[in-house]
Amino acid sequence: MDAAEKLLLMFFLLAAVATFVFVAVAWSTRLPEQEQAEVQHRGYVIRGRWFLGLTLGLLAVFFGTIPFFPYLAAAAALQPAEKVPVIAMQFAFIMPDHFPLNRRILFEVTSRDVNHGFGIYNPEGQLIAQTQAMPDYVNYLAVTFHQPGHYTARCLEYCGVGHAIMQKDFTVEGASPAPAPMPMQEPSGTNTVPSSNESNPFE
Amino acid sequence: MKAIPSNNSSPGRGVMKLYLISGLLVVALMLPAGLTMRAAQAGWLPALPPDLFYALLTLHGAGMIVALAVCAMGALWFLIRRHIELNAPLAVLAWLLIMLGVVGVVVATLVGRFAGLYTFLYPLPFDGNWPGWSTGVFLISMVLVNAGWMIWSFQMIGAVLRTCGGLRGALAWDYVWHKPAFQAAGRQPPPPEALPAFMTGFDGLIAGMAATLLGVSLLVRWLDPRVVIDPLWVKNLTYFWAHTFANLIIYMLAALIYVGMPYATRRTYHTSTVLVVGWWTSMVLTLTNYFHHLYMDFVQPGILQYFGELSSYLSALPVTAVTVFSALMLVWRSRTRWTLGAIFMYSGLVGWVVGGIGAEIDASVPFNVHLHNTLWVPAHFHTYLLGGCLLFVMGWVFLLLESRSARETSGIMRWLIAALSFGGMIVFLLGFYFGGAYGVPRRYAIEPAPGPFIAQFATIGAVIMLIGFTLAFIEGWRLRWNRADDRPLWPGELTEEASHGE
Repeated sequence: MDAAEKLLLMFFLLAAVATFVFVAVAWSTRLPEQEQAEVQHRGYVIRGRWFLGLTLGLLAVFFGTIPFFPYLAAAAALQPAEKVPVIAMQFAFIMPDHFPLNRRILFEVTSRDVNHGFGIYNPEGQLIAQTQAMPDYVNYLAVTFHQPGHYTARCLEYCGVGHAIMQKDFTVEGASPAPAPMPMQEPSGTNTVPSSNESNPFE
Repeated sequence: MKAIPSNNSSPGRGVMKLYLISGLLVVALMLPAGLTMRAAQAGWLPALPPDLFYALLTLHGAGMIVALAVCAMGALWFLIRRHIELNAPLAVLAWLLIMLGVVGVVVATLVGRFAGLYTFLYPLPFDGNWPGWSTGVFLISMVLVNAGWMIWSFQMIGAVLRTCGGLRGALAWDYVWHKPAFQAAGRQPPPPEALPAFMTGFDGLIAGMAATLLGVSLLVRWLDPRVVIDPLWVKNLTYFWAHTFANLIIYMLAALIYVGMPYATRRTYHTSTVLVVGWWTSMVLTLTNYFHHLYMDFVQPGILQYFGELSSYLSALPVTAVTVFSALMLVWRSRTRWTLGAIFMYSGLVGWVVGGIGAEIDASVPFNVHLHNTLWVPAHFHTYLLGGCLLFVMGWVFLLLESRSARETSGIMRWLIAALSFGGMIVFLLGFYFGGAYGVPRRYAIEPAPGPFIAQFATIGAVIMLIGFTLAFIEGWRLRWNRADDRPLWPGELTEEASHGE
């Protein structure tokens, strides 16, 4: 079962449980009528438990997701990496064509004109990492490619009528040399903590 | 609290009809626009050029959000007017400003081919291949819509403050914290529908002020291209306004549940402490949820990303534990007559919850990495706008029509409408969810695989749903045609109950 199937399964299970509750409650109108006061008496007890359970559940999920946030700790940001600038513009990406396997890449993503997105799709067509490409700012995205093959970067923020054709194909190869550094202007604004796809549950 | 008599010719009903009919008319025009785009993505309309596609997308997005908001505003205005006198000409002025804005958006998109989308992220409106005048017309139109919205928000806040005797009364502060003394004094808390009215008015004003700042900034940039605005600042402002405005639609419509579901289930619904606290919570969280739109902007201060996820999660609590749970308690083993009005309104709750589940998944940062700006986003907001908001509005309209009609919709007709509308809607929405899970980007005139294949199913689903909606329209017309003037006007009798309770 791939990541997309797991995600859909989780959503469908939750949606099915919710829908079942609604259908069951609607079905109950076929049963003999119950006094509203009696319904409320029992309902308030269930509601209290639901509220408590949902609150604790949501808080648990919140704390459970924190380790998977793509915003790296300052220590992780200092790890060695191949710095690769990515410049987005209507309607192309300026970036290298080849990347090495199993080497940490730190994409420095910015835009020359409007807001763009920088989404990386693996050879199976799965979206494995992304960040926004903003004018006047640089977003740092750390990615380590563990699988050789043909990858595609697609724009994931609407940027004009050529938005759908804005993509860049690149390959990841074991023996490929390191990408040549590209000239770029010093950004006027940066974040200090790079971001990463390295600890996400989809990888 | 003095009740205002309500009848078919009263200004209250007139304003509601004006808002509802115009809002639903715009919805009816935007539905085929959406179908056209989905058919184009399916590859069945290859002649649709990208500039027209994106102009249609801009029109569809702005049109639908504004139309559903107008429906909700009209119905809530009417409900509040049952409790206190409201200035009808002012409500008509607000409506006029909004409709002028809608006409302007139509001109900017269909004539000027403005395609900066409903969210018009700076600096795109000034960097597109459309003429500069269309950008100006679009921005001015949105400012007009916002002006109408703010007038309405002022009216709602003023009405609830006057009805409840100030801020403490509007927030039911003493009712929650000093309940024995409050009840001993013979005081009444605000009616349930006053809570969404105050909350949406209050949050609406704050969002409206942000929108004014945004609109003025962009208009200045339009007039003087030398002006430079910080893209991150304007992005925050844009999503703060757009997200809050879109969210408030369903919160306004919660008032219809508080009045409509008791009518359908023949039970009563009153303000409780839990309801009040739930609305306090929603009032705060609705303003802080928008941060989840900027998860992929890593330059955004990190603390806001964490806060965005927590806030998004917690907003599920008042919705499910208060409004939805209360509605379920009203229905449980009641004598509900499952008319079309009741079916639509109840089904809208399912759309709200299921759309909310999709939204909560997307609001989880680790999942957002893989879902941000994929079709998962339109999946969840179509679920609660189409399967929630629109169904609430349709449910409300049908409850009104059914209450006055001598005609009763046959069982076959009800099943046919429900099966076509909901069956088609589910297939249509599944297209978005599957596309999103498989990483198909949103807002692509031509989608990468498997987008076009999925869009074919979605298009068929949308056609089936529209057939169901058409049948619903015909049935609504027949109910209206068979109106029985001697029947008691609903929800007029509730007004009498309110006045007797004093």
